[in-house]
Amino acid sequence: MPRTTTVECAGCPPLRALTFDVLGLIKVVEARDKQRGVAQVVERWGEPESSKCVMAVSMVDRNSQPLLAVARKNKKIEVLSPVNGDIQATISDTSGLDVQSEENNIVGLHLFEKQNSELPSRCCTLLTCTTKGNASIRSIEFADSSKESSCIDSPKTWNVCSGGNILCCKVDGNENFALFGGKGVEINIWDIDNLTKIWNSKPPPKNNLGIFTPTWFTSATFLMKDDHRKFVAGTNSHQVRLYDISAQRRPVLSFDFRETPIKAVAEDIDGYSVYVGNGSGDMASFDIRTGKMLGGFSGKCSGSIRSIVRHPQLPVVASCGERYSIISFHLVCFLWMKRLDSYLRLWDTKTRQLLSAIFLKQHVVHVLFDSNFDVKETDLLSCKEQNLTEEVEATPLKRKKSARNKEHIQDGSERKKRSKHSKEHKKSEGNDGREKIASRNEPSKPKLKKKK
Amino acid sequence: MGGKRKKNDDSDVEESKAVSSNKKTRTTEKKDQLRPSMIKNKEKRSEVHAKLKHQKKLDKRAKAKTRDAALKRALELGEELPEKKVPRTIENTREFDETVCKPGDEEELFAGNDADEFSSILHKQYTPKILITTCRFHSTRGPAFISELLSVIPNAHYYKRGTYDLKKIVEYAKNKEFTSIIVVHTNRREPDALLIIGVPNGPTVHFKLSKLVLRQDIKNHGTPTSHKPELVLNNFTTRLGHRVGRLIQSLFPQDPEFKGRRVVTFHNQRDFIFFRHHRYIFENKEVKKPESRDKKDKDGKNENVTEQTTIARLQECGPRFTLKLISLQHGTFDTKGGEYEWVHKAEMDTSRRRFFL
Repeated sequence: MPRTTTVECAGCPPLRALTFDVLGLIKVVEARDKQRGVAQVVERWGEPESSKCVMAVSMVDRNSQPLLAVARKNKKIEVLSPVNGDIQATISDTSGLDVQSEENNIVGLHLFEKQNSELPSRCCTLLTCTTKGNASIRSIEFADSSKESSCIDSPKTWNVCSGGNILCCKVDGNENFALFGGKGVEINIWDIDNLTKIWNSKPPPKNNLGIFTPTWFTSATFLMKDDHRKFVAGTNSHQVRLYDISAQRRPVLSFDFRETPIKAVAEDIDGYSVYVGNGSGDMASFDIRTGKMLGGFSGKCSGSIRSIVRHPQLPVVASCGERYSIISFHLVCFLWMKRLDSYLRLWDTKTRQLLSAIFLKQHVVHVLFDSNFDVKETDLLSCKEQNLTEEVEATPLKRKKSARNKEHIQDGSERKKRSKHSKEHKKSEGNDGREKIASRNEPSKPKLKKKK
Repeated sequence: MGGKRKKNDDSDVEESKAVSSNKKTRTTEKKDQLRPSMIKNKEKRSEVHAKLKHQKKLDKRAKAKTRDAALKRALELGEELPEKKVPRTIENTREFDETVCKPGDEEELFAGNDADEFSSILHKQYTPKILITTCRFHSTRGPAFISELLSVIPNAHYYKRGTYDLKKIVEYAKNKEFTSIIVVHTNRREPDALLIIGVPNGPTVHFKLSKLVLRQDIKNHGTPTSHKPELVLNNFTTRLGHRVGRLIQSLFPQDPEFKGRRVVTFHNQRDFIFFRHHRYIFENKEVKKPESRDKKDKDGKNENVTEQTTIARLQECGPRFTLKLISLQHGTFDTKGGEYEWVHKAEMDTSRRRFFL
């Protein structure tokens, strides 16, 4: 008999993700079933138009008033609500740019989670970076969607690089430092508050043939959420490098991955494994402490991978204390990614099994998780929570949890304090872990040199 | 076997009887099942086989007869014709593919089309201008193939490759306002790959080229005129196929001169793209029964009751070759730093019934 069905996907747990494509459409993908659901496109925001091609996205993923910023090709930045897609503010990025060329697109965008105390509540702060290296931080206030909202204060602008093209821009978890790198641009790390460059990397030495590979960073990510000192970068010459600011300016560790340029790098929340995707659709996870491959992600991949996103640690869980966060670790480990062949694929990080593949009709540029999906729809389906609580304890706890969440929504300030507290707590723990990693990295260095 | 037999002989008579009876039942089973392969005697086997074959033939004939009779009766009585059975082929049992363009997603498809690299050519804002070049070393069939390509594609210009890098050639083509570059790659004096690069920012497509038959080797071939040809693109169904089809479309001018009666066909079947180049002619022919047997139906109105009927005749001219997609790369030629939209990988070939175009 002919096999008329394709290989089945295992199905994925309830989650919600937003995808952004070449035509400027934002599609909402949701899996709603409690156990093994099929992810589907449930909503589509915007009209297809090639000038609205999405260049960069950023999201503040929180319970109350989550925000989503989208930078488009026509140099407009939109701030949307990731819940229903309502445009809250639009600014055109023409003001800060002296060069009005086609190439000077926005490549980096970051929406700050922490808010300035002196600014009114209905505003947000944005960091943008263009290809030519013009970075700026501005605060915008939400006006009516019809009007173009304006910046409150004059934007702080500075130039990140003198030449070359910026390709990657990342802000660390505590939002104090930003990282820039690109074609012909070594990785710079800037202190956002003082606008000073605190570190920049140094290219690796020439190889034994005296050939120098030109600098071309394509992607980068900070390894841990509250540590700005370690980051992983992928280069066009299919190399993945680990840098440590506190150690040296050259990469602490570097290894090759296949033969096409690395296009996306994402970190895991465990702080040592990274996911690497390249230009011909191969993806694998690596243990960055040793540089060993943990395993590849297969599943009929044929297009370049543009972004990899790991499901964040669920905020629902994090607000409930450490205990749950540890549990979430084992339960909810998923990975989203997107590719140029216009598929969104979802893998399990533990088993590396393809959970779901969604065809999105256009070339997808970015993908983001909305991890508060169930919190908002507690009445409908509080599946994720259930998933967790079923494992931990009986249902009454769940109710408690949701009640707690509501409290948090009401008094955000208190929550912030609490989260800060917990962050500090984590930091102290994380420090130990970091040191461990560093010590483990030390012996791996000479090995690498030998290999070369 | 001998040893076994001896053992049998040694054993009780009853047992041997049982065995023989067993054998008997087995033979009857054989006759029931009619499987000649179980017979060891060749003569007997072939006899049974022939018998079986004959029986099958008769059955088939009888079946066809009843079918024809049913059809005839239905025609006479003016009833509905009996359903025609469709044979199961690899194409129509193709694995389900969600990327196949369906009615209903036109909006996004057309918006995507307008946004892609070929839309300016296909909307006749530019006339396509093609640069044809080769790999570094080529001889024998390579130049012959190129001269035929030049006659197939209007506004194509051949440039000697020299020792230029392909990236330099792309730059050159950008400056000279070419719209595409075709690189014919030759291996062992035989063209074996075709690289089509869209300029200035179009995709790069890498095809494997096989089964090349040049004009000379085609029997009764014609020589094409310099009219702009008509283009037939068949079976490019998926998004990927659509894109490849549009790329091929952008090589040809969008205003064919029907006077020239030239057709260039790219026919996709099971992911192989067959290239054919024909000249067609309509002829008035006196036929007793008006039967329209034209495959490329340029006119659907040949239901003439009169004895004079128009038939279309084809004459093949120009090369004949087969293409298979290897990779589709985003942007112009860049093997090291390129970003692929689609690459053929061995792991994708797990089913004969999965097609990508």
